[in-house]
Amino acid sequence: MGLSFSTLFSSLASLTQWSKEKDVRILMLGLDSAGKTTILYRLQIGEVVSTIPTIGFNVETVQYKNVKFQVWDLGGQSSIRPYWRCYFPNTSAIIYVIDSADTARLPTSRAELLTMLSEEELKGVPLLVFCNKQDIPGALKPEAISEQLGLAGGEKSRPWSVRGSCATKGEGLEDGLDWLVNAIHSK
Amino acid sequence: MYHLLKGLHEYLTRKDEFSIIILGLDGAGKTTLLEKIKTLYNDTPGLTPDKIGPTVGQNTGKIMLPSTILQFWDLGGQRGIRNIWHRYYEDCHAVVYVIDAEDRERLSEGWEVFESVLSSPQILGVPLLLLANKQDSPLSLSVEEIRHDYEDWHQRKLESARRSVRQGEGENEIIAKKERIASLEVMGISALEGTGVRAAVDWLFIRVQNSRRQERHS
Repeated sequence: MGLSFSTLFSSLASLTQWSKEKDVRILMLGLDSAGKTTILYRLQIGEVVSTIPTIGFNVETVQYKNVKFQVWDLGGQSSIRPYWRCYFPNTSAIIYVIDSADTARLPTSRAELLTMLSEEELKGVPLLVFCNKQDIPGALKPEAISEQLGLAGGEKSRPWSVRGSCATKGEGLEDGLDWLVNAIHSK
Repeated sequence: MYHLLKGLHEYLTRKDEFSIIILGLDGAGKTTLLEKIKTLYNDTPGLTPDKIGPTVGQNTGKIMLPSTILQFWDLGGQRGIRNIWHRYYEDCHAVVYVIDAEDRERLSEGWEVFESVLSSPQILGVPLLLLANKQDSPLSLSVEEIRHDYEDWHQRKLESARRSVRQGEGENEIIAKKERIASLEVMGISALEGTGVRAAVDWLFIRVQNSRRQERHS
């Protein structure tokens, strides 16, 4: 009897966990042509789709190992970056995508990232940085990009991770999401 | 009346929060340790060891203990990241230094880094725990061996410093450091299997509370 109660209880407890997880809202941001939309659809349907520059946003529900993410892929062109902030409330995590081969615009990418992280609404929110396009010769390694971003020491309050990825081959995406799920849970 | 009860409730359920930083060379097992701690103390398990790669960034974990919250920070251990550790010293309540007891070749590198942690003035009065990780491997040095290895290393360093006449630490600092080393707590763990992890967390739990009490009295 006691046993059946405890199994009943645990199944109920897992139910409430489920409903909590419904609201996992993730923002995917980064400069234009970093590969955000490609990552989004790689995650959702597991395929590489041909994309055009996003004006506005794509929003998709991605099911990843029992967790439903609502992933918002916001356009990255300079003219629409100011609108990112409209999406900041109720965000559970941020995925920031960087084109590792575009060293010229890395300072811009860094500036946009740091501006965003200083927002009060995103305080303590876990940050996953995908150093995308690792397959391109000359792409910077995550360690080098991390150094240039200068998050170390400045971002004490949030968990963050800088990882390499290649959206077209699907490399690094799952490992990154595993980390992110764990970071969201352990907040 | 409501506020009285509410205040009372808050007082009774109040939890003090302490920050603990986990340091060590890359590959020592810091993230594996943190995830093991989360698995042991929280409802949602942490990452399994096969999902853990070199950390570029920072991982955090929070565990609830009676009237206490322990907040852990796991910082990357690779050479490039080590120079940011000091920014966390200011507001941490305890330091855990993880050493890979299996990797004999990098022991002295590990001590070199440990020494620089030990001599940081900001954490002079902070509880410091040295963990000899990977005790699950038969090749690993035991806790005693690790302690001796460190003491030998330290002795050699002192001697070579004496020989090359350079201006360095004063006598007082050397004595202070000696005391610190003598009172250093060394424990053996296997972050992979979880042996010794609870003992280490218990030690931290007791020490952070004691050091807070001392602060109050002084």
